[in-house]
Amino acid sequence: MPTPVKMPRLGESVAEGTVGSWLKQEGDWIEKDESLAEIITDKINAELPSPVAGRLAKILVQPDQTVAVGVDIALIEENADAAASQSVEAAPGPDAAPVESPARANVAVMDKQSASDGNGSKAAVQPSRVGEEERQRISPLARRLAREHGIDLNDIAGTGTGGRVRKEDILAYIEQQQAAPAVPSYAAQAPATQPAYTPPAPAAPKAEPAPTVIGPDEELVTPSRMRLAIAEHMVRSKRTSPHATTVVEVDMTNIAKWLEKNKEDFKRREGYSISYVPFVMKAVCEGIRKVPTINSSWTEDNKIIIKKRINLGMAVATDAGLVVPTLYDADQYTIAGLAKQIAAIAQRARSNKLTVQDMQNSTFVVNNPGTFGTIISVPIINQPHAGILSMDAVVKRPVVIEDDAIAVRYMMYLSLSFDHRILDGAGAGGFLQAVRTKLQSYGREIDVY
Amino acid sequence: MTAVTYLEAIGQAIREEMRRDEAVFLLGEDVGTYGGAFKVSAGLMEEFGSERIIDTPMAEAAIIGSAVGAATMGMRPIAEMQFIDFITCGFDQIVNMASKFYWRSGIPAPMVIRGPSGGGVKGGPFHSASPEAWFFHVPGIKVVVPSTTYDAKGLLKAAIRDNNPVLYLEHKLLYRMPELREELPEEDYIVPLGKAITRRAGENMTILTYGAMVHQCLKAAQTLEQEDDLDVEVVDLRSLVPLDREAILESVKRTNKVLIVHEDTLTGGIGAELAAILAEDLFEYLDGPITRVAAPDAPFPYAPPLEDAYLPDAEKILAAARKLAAY
Repeated sequence: MPTPVKMPRLGESVAEGTVGSWLKQEGDWIEKDESLAEIITDKINAELPSPVAGRLAKILVQPDQTVAVGVDIALIEENADAAASQSVEAAPGPDAAPVESPARANVAVMDKQSASDGNGSKAAVQPSRVGEEERQRISPLARRLAREHGIDLNDIAGTGTGGRVRKEDILAYIEQQQAAPAVPSYAAQAPATQPAYTPPAPAAPKAEPAPTVIGPDEELVTPSRMRLAIAEHMVRSKRTSPHATTVVEVDMTNIAKWLEKNKEDFKRREGYSISYVPFVMKAVCEGIRKVPTINSSWTEDNKIIIKKRINLGMAVATDAGLVVPTLYDADQYTIAGLAKQIAAIAQRARSNKLTVQDMQNSTFVVNNPGTFGTIISVPIINQPHAGILSMDAVVKRPVVIEDDAIAVRYMMYLSLSFDHRILDGAGAGGFLQAVRTKLQSYGREIDVY
Repeated sequence: MTAVTYLEAIGQAIREEMRRDEAVFLLGEDVGTYGGAFKVSAGLMEEFGSERIIDTPMAEAAIIGSAVGAATMGMRPIAEMQFIDFITCGFDQIVNMASKFYWRSGIPAPMVIRGPSGGGVKGGPFHSASPEAWFFHVPGIKVVVPSTTYDAKGLLKAAIRDNNPVLYLEHKLLYRMPELREELPEEDYIVPLGKAITRRAGENMTILTYGAMVHQCLKAAQTLEQEDDLDVEVVDLRSLVPLDREAILESVKRTNKVLIVHEDTLTGGIGAELAAILAEDLFEYLDGPITRVAAPDAPFPYAPPLEDAYLPDAEKILAAARKLAAY
């Protein structure tokens, strides 16, 4: 039995993916975790590692085709030698004649590939291109990028010394290629190639909506794919989970003063910044330990899955839009350790280097609109989580403290939106109380290590 | 609080560690009554007395050998070389004794060997050495090179507290450089060994460097930004052993071009090892040749115009960076 390779879920809100290119041909041997294909989604582009070692028996989805998450896109034969001959025997077509040995079978598969691949695809070009590359000047990085994106280097004019093809040239070429056939072809292509799957329609009824007509003082904007994906996810989340929101006020004075005093030294010493966020993440882990159902999902068959690992999603605003990469096992880090992870993930997000792994498996989200100065937010749950926490700005406020005295304290509102199917006010309140207790437990001196 | 020099920061670190831990003591030529050739240890004799600030004969093998003996008996000696050039007289004690003691016997040798290194002060062939590569090669001894006043203090404190022999190379050109004056935190702090720091973030190229060259690289990076619109990252290694591989690989993986700059001579230098690591681990991330800027393979010259021609500086870094950027 060949092992199917499925379209991965690259981020919680992503329902489909496009095969950008295959990095292996049918018949090629592939190691476990070796890159098999490039997958393009609304949120990120990533390489898909092979789930097993074996021979790539069949490619089921051709480049530029879009399919739903979970759909089989290729078959890998794990039983190596037997597989090679089997796949050839099973394959219909001109090469279906019996073969004498696995080695022979290999060749046959390759031949078939280039023969049936009539319209000048990369597979056919590859062997003849080797000679060209020898004469062309190419940096090692450019060579790898070209291979991964299935780019024929003959199409590219290098701008480096002596006409060398370098990073800028490849990236400019990819950008140019992507700019041309964007949204329209995607919409037109999806139903034709993928009858089993209809692209997500935001809330609207199934019937084709009439085209929007605008007045003279209006402007019509076509949302980007990422904007469409966010829209779909937000509508689906509100429709799926009955949201309830509850808010606590936290006294952040000791943490604020510690940060004022130590922030710069910390940055200089460690090379990355520390903010309120790792403190709140640490406290969230504490809260989840007290109320584990916060870290769970309601399933379609009406069960609740409680997640044992605490993988916190963190919202990062990038030039391209909002992404929510995952900080794995947040409960295993110190506050400084969390700060380091946050810095590394944010850096990857901003430089567009998030991996498949980065976009999966989060169990709860901590959102920080407070950086924009907001004081109370009501977040929408990132499906299929049970809740989402928003930390708003820490601001100085007069507060009544012990003995009815009034003092100036650094205060912050924490808003929890939760799935009322899973939790009631008591559970949500218990969680927030644990988070607040942890945040207020710090003294003047804080050991972040 | 007043801003202190790089040299004063070293003195502060020794003083504070000697107050904190009775096992710490200083030995070397003229470190006591005279306060050290560069006055690093000025005033220490008055505070700690001649049993903990020990004037020694001019015999580096004896200074380092005594330090190894004391360290294995539970002390934490700081052995000063008056000029780091003369560390070679104690080479055997370092590479055969200090670095192997724990490996052979299970008894740690927590000691620091420190002294003024580097050129740029018209010191000639016997007072300008950058000896890091010899010791970088020897397993069992750590090597650190501070480039700022903050790091000078923090790295020395961390070196003294470390349970291994540590070679601490201070740069004599930075000793009293006015630009490096800095207000240091009043409370105790260390700079952990084995951690590089990004002195300047950038996306187009990474410069890996350490010691006094950090400042030349930053100068070149500024020019590259203003005149060439290039955004260059400068990573100060700080520790050569242990090396912060993670930081190095992360940066180069992102920028895809790397320039390595050191004051020591080219062949078999730190840059050679860095280049090998990058070629092995990041070959397919490189968008240009790994490039080195270092002193030429010649003895350190005495004549001032020759010294200027010999030492790497912002101009030479700039030329190499431009060539690499255009590659």
